[in-house]
Amino acid sequence: MVPTLLGLSFIAFGLANLAPGDPAQQYLTRVLNQPASQEEIERVREELGLDRPLAVQYVDWLGDALRGDLGVSYATRRPVTTEIAHRVPYTLQLAIPAALLALVIAIPAGVVSALYRGRLPDHVMRVASLAGASLPSFWLALLLILFFAVHLSLVPVAGREGLDSYLLPTLTLALGPAAVLARFTRSTMLEALGDDYVRTARAKGLTARLVVARHALRNALIPVATDFGTRLSHLVAGAVIVETIFVWPGLGKLTLDAVTERDFPMIQGVVLFGGLTVALINLVVDLSYTLIDARVRVGTKAVAA
Amino acid sequence: MRPAARRVIAALVLALVAAACGGGAGDSDEGQGQRAQLNLNAELRIGFTDDQYILEGPDANLGAYPANANIVETLVYINDRYEVVPRLAERWEFRPPNTWRFHLRQGVRFHDGQPMNAQTIKEGLFDRVAAKRNGGTIRATPQSAVVVDEYTIDYTASVPNLRVVEQLVHPQNGALAPGSNHGTRPVGTGPFRFVDYRPKERITVERNNDYWGEKPLVARMTFRFYPDRNARLLALQAGDIDLAYEIPRDDVAGLESRGFTIAKSTVGAYRAIYLNAHGEEPYDILSDVNVRKAIAVGIDRQKHVDGVLDGLATTDQTFVPPSALGASASLIRGHQYNLNAARSLLDNAGWRAGADGIRVKDGRRLRLTLVSGFPSAEVIRPTPTFLQAELRNLGIEVEIVERPDSASFQDLMGRKQGDIFIEDGNQNDANVGFLPILLLYTGPGSSGSGVYQGIAAPGPRFDQLIQPALTEPDHAKLQEIVATAMNEAITEQATVLPLNGVYRIYGMKKSVTGFVPHPSFLNVSWLGVGVTGG
Repeated sequence: MVPTLLGLSFIAFGLANLAPGDPAQQYLTRVLNQPASQEEIERVREELGLDRPLAVQYVDWLGDALRGDLGVSYATRRPVTTEIAHRVPYTLQLAIPAALLALVIAIPAGVVSALYRGRLPDHVMRVASLAGASLPSFWLALLLILFFAVHLSLVPVAGREGLDSYLLPTLTLALGPAAVLARFTRSTMLEALGDDYVRTARAKGLTARLVVARHALRNALIPVATDFGTRLSHLVAGAVIVETIFVWPGLGKLTLDAVTERDFPMIQGVVLFGGLTVALINLVVDLSYTLIDARVRVGTKAVAA
Repeated sequence: MRPAARRVIAALVLALVAAACGGGAGDSDEGQGQRAQLNLNAELRIGFTDDQYILEGPDANLGAYPANANIVETLVYINDRYEVVPRLAERWEFRPPNTWRFHLRQGVRFHDGQPMNAQTIKEGLFDRVAAKRNGGTIRATPQSAVVVDEYTIDYTASVPNLRVVEQLVHPQNGALAPGSNHGTRPVGTGPFRFVDYRPKERITVERNNDYWGEKPLVARMTFRFYPDRNARLLALQAGDIDLAYEIPRDDVAGLESRGFTIAKSTVGAYRAIYLNAHGEEPYDILSDVNVRKAIAVGIDRQKHVDGVLDGLATTDQTFVPPSALGASASLIRGHQYNLNAARSLLDNAGWRAGADGIRVKDGRRLRLTLVSGFPSAEVIRPTPTFLQAELRNLGIEVEIVERPDSASFQDLMGRKQGDIFIEDGNQNDANVGFLPILLLYTGPGSSGSGVYQGIAAPGPRFDQLIQPALTEPDHAKLQEIVATAMNEAITEQATVLPLNGVYRIYGMKKSVTGFVPHPSFLNVSWLGVGVTGG
């Protein structure tokens, strides 16, 4: 993981510095609400250490990062670690429910679609999943707001005021991954249902429910678990559009602000955090295989023996 | 008919009558202005744009700007006509060579009970600003402010600065209570006191019942931040907020049809194009003043107002609001649309129409690159497309380059990688000379923005005309000097071409009363704003 994170930090640093725009000018425009003089810009560049060679800037930052200090945000002047730590809970408040909701929708839908292949439930699910995967999230978010918040007045438009305010952002975040996961589940289920062991199980007289739930589904879930892990990583890394529209102060919004303001330490910080998150989630997914797949458990025990 | 039935019918009739008298879609609380009783216990919920407060260091500005929650007050204030009026200072005078003396209002207290006097103003305003980079816009140092007596204070900037009074209107120069923290819990003298802040979500303030002036008409205000303009609009329609900033022009008609009130300020912002008069090949075409003037007279600004900006702008050709220039605004002649005159200018400059209608000179096509992106390309649309069509009529081919944000826009501008740069700008204090000097002046004493000067500096005559603005203490004379210099930049040299003066547009429920739309959204006053109904 360490070499990966190192590489990631280098790429993040490089890309941030390659992007056009001057962080000092951005900061001053925000502070002054008007154009800044060249003299002021140069002074801020010096304050921020931007007048040093890039290699020096990177090495200094890396040295601090290895000690857990990701630097100070150019925009807010607060430690990057503090800002990220403050925002992570808000993102998790949406990401985890959205991920679970996606699973709750996707797995039954995928299974039913596979079982009723070529028939009406399958067609309905495939159209729905195509729509869910194709709809841009910002459009979906505004559509849901228009219907549920404006016309029906059931939930607030945005913000974190009460439990009902979680509904729309969670739904918006969940529908896209649910659509993709449903299709994926359908594919893996169809593959599993065509395998010999399923034919054997049927021949042994097991009920359809047992065949599907105890045999086919568990095998079908292994690749689904991997894909789910990837989707979860994306959700935790921050849903930029959803957090912006629904005024949710999570990592996604933090990342967007950092890029807009050319806040290099923050950009590097969120990229590193994102990389770490992906690595950790992949580890959890790997561990989950032992729960889903008995062969992995047996294999593990055999290796242990 | 049985009595019970009669009662039911009577109730139904009453309900029908009440419904007929009831309000439109734009007011979920109550109906028409007939029920004009103010609810003094009401909370006013305001939808603002993104939260851009800075919470640390000398630049901390929680509650001050851009979302001005009226917690902190300045010594002076600009009204919606850009006139400087007293606030915490009742009067002031200039004492040559570089000192301003302020006579402070008596009987004012900060929210924590500290008296507002010369000493607390020294500490809470001038010394605080002195800690900023360069001493802030007013160029303060720890020695700048001198207490003369309990309610009189002298201020001398570290450099000759005769624009102090005009600069002091900006909320960044507000008076805080000594010892208060402007990043976590601002304590001012304003009509509202700080209650709560949730970063990136909202800030809440409540009525200051000990306010020295007219008391606020609402008990609380909450500014909710909606970075996405569509979400902000929908929040207004859903009733989550009572008033919304920055309503997009193309949503105005829809909101009005739904029963909401639209309030437009006087001109406080502008949309302008900067022509690259100092570029190098291939961006050197506009070094010819005749080509620049052809563009200036070849754009139909009225058509832009009517067709692109939905009538919600003016054809003013200044980039300082006309009201800020006062009577001197008429000194800026600008350009009258004249397609034939524009074509003649290009003909005389040697640009002849080619087979496809695009002009050619010495084998070179008249092709210009238009860069859009300040504050963002999305905000500026579809003006670039409009300009592209207008200039096509002159035989000029325009390539549009959109930049997603101001940083990348200014990067291109700084490298002079374009011919025409379009942006929206605004005036947030009363210093009418600030923008022209900062952006265009290159003479002695210049510490301006190299980016704009490198593109659009109008030249030595402009510098000569505007230089007295640096040392002119009289505001009326300053207006005249600036207007005359701007005429040189806009009319004679055509390096800056304001397209339109732009209104600030606010949307609100009908239950919101007394709102005065300020052209500078940093200086909106919430005194006098009330909410009717229960």
